[in-house]
Amino acid sequence: MHEHDLDLIAALADGSLDDESEARLLIDTCEVCGSEYRSQTQVLAWLAAAPGVDMTELEKAALHRDLWTELRSEPSKAGATPWWQTWSYVAAGLFVLVGLVAVLNGPLGSGGQAGETLAVSSDLDAPAVEEAAPFDADESGSGEDSQAGAPTTTAAERALDLPFAELAEEARNAREAEPNMGTMSLDGEVEDCLARLGLEDQVVVDELELDQTYLVVMTEDPELDRSVTFVTLTDCEIVHVDR
Amino acid sequence: MTLPGNEAELLTRVVSGDRAAFDTVMRIHEDRVFSVCLRVLGDRERALDATQDTFLTVFRKAGQFQGRSALGTWIYRIAVNTCYDHLRRARRRASLPLPDHVDPADPSAEDAIESAAPRPEIQVALALLPPDFRDAVILSDLEGLSMPEAAEVLGVPIGTVKSRVFRGRRLLAQHLGNQNHP
Repeated sequence: MHEHDLDLIAALADGSLDDESEARLLIDTCEVCGSEYRSQTQVLAWLAAAPGVDMTELEKAALHRDLWTELRSEPSKAGATPWWQTWSYVAAGLFVLVGLVAVLNGPLGSGGQAGETLAVSSDLDAPAVEEAAPFDADESGSGEDSQAGAPTTTAAERALDLPFAELAEEARNAREAEPNMGTMSLDGEVEDCLARLGLEDQVVVDELELDQTYLVVMTEDPELDRSVTFVTLTDCEIVHVDR
Repeated sequence: MTLPGNEAELLTRVVSGDRAAFDTVMRIHEDRVFSVCLRVLGDRERALDATQDTFLTVFRKAGQFQGRSALGTWIYRIAVNTCYDHLRRARRRASLPLPDHVDPADPSAEDAIESAAPRPEIQVALALLPPDFRDAVILSDLEGLSMPEAAEVLGVPIGTVKSRVFRGRRLLAQHLGNQNHP
C-alpha cells in the first residue's frame, strides 16, 4: 500500500474529488489500491444503508422534562452581562487587588495562591459564569462547580491561571514515556479523589509540582485513549484534559 | 424546523436568559446530538444522559460561543466531549450493549429500540474500532460532516481526520466482511 495514496483513495470513494482521473488511473493500475477502493466503497454503502437513529417521542419528552428540571435550579440569566464585560470586571478587580497586595505585602499576608487572590473580585462576577475549565479544555461533563455555597472563586477564574504550556509539555512527556514507567502507588486520599472523579480505573503516572500539585492521570492503554488528565488534590478537581 | 433568525441572534438570546430561544436551539439539534451520542456510546440510556448533559453545557457555555464555527459544529464538539466523559466514567462496565438489550420492566423501551435502532452489525463493528477511528467515521460517514467540520469537532488537523476515516473504514470493512461472510 502506498501510504501517500490514502487520501486520494478515500476521497475517490466518498466522491469528494473534483478531478478523479488520477485516482481512477491509480486504482486501475495498482491492485492493492483497487482493492482498498472497493473495500472503502463497500463500507460506505453499508453505512449509507444504516437507518438514522432518532429519539422516540417518549424519549424526547423525558429529555425535555429532565433538562428543564435541571435548568430550573440554574440561576436566571436574565439581564446577565456579556462574558467579555464580566471578564473586564474581573481584570479590573484583579488590577486593584494586586495593587493593594503590593502595598500591604508583608506579615499581613500577601497574595497566596491565585485562587485566594481572586476571592474578593469574584463578587463582581455575574452569576452566569460558574463553569469548569474553558470549552477548549474539554470539561463539558463536569458539573462539580455549580453548587450552592460554592468556593469564593469560580472554576473559570481558576482555569485562567493554569500553566497550560507546562501541562501540555507534561502531557507530551507522559505519552512518550515507556508504558511500564511511573504508575505511582496511591494513598487513600488520592484513591478516594480519583473514585469521586470517575477516574478510579486510570493510573497516576506522575505528580507535577508547579503553582500547585497536579496528579497526572492516564488510561492504562494509551493506544486506545491518549487523554492526559490533570487533577488538583487540594480541591479534588479535574482542571485540564490534554488530548 | 427553521431558525427564526440567525444563530448568533439565538445564542445572544440564550445568554440573556431567553429560555424559549434555548428550547429552539435544543429542538433543532437534539436529534443529531442524540444520534452521535448513541453511535459513540452504543447504549440508548447513556446516549440520553449524554444528550441531556450536552445541552446543559450548551446552556451554561452559550456565552463562550464566538461564531468561529457553525453553531451545530460547536454543539457537536460538546456532544463528543460529553461522550468521552461518560466513557471515562463507565470504563469499568462491560462492553457496550447492543440495542437488543432491553429492560423487560419497560415495554416502551423495547418498541423504541426496535423502531429506531442502528443495525446491530454496524454498531458492533463500530464498537470494535479504536475510539479515534470510530469517532472520525461516525462524524464523517454517518453524521455527514465535512472533513473540516469533523476536524473542528474532534480538535485535530484535517489531515488527521482524513487518515482516521480511511483507516476506520478499512477496519470496518474487515469486521463487517467477517460478519457477512463468516
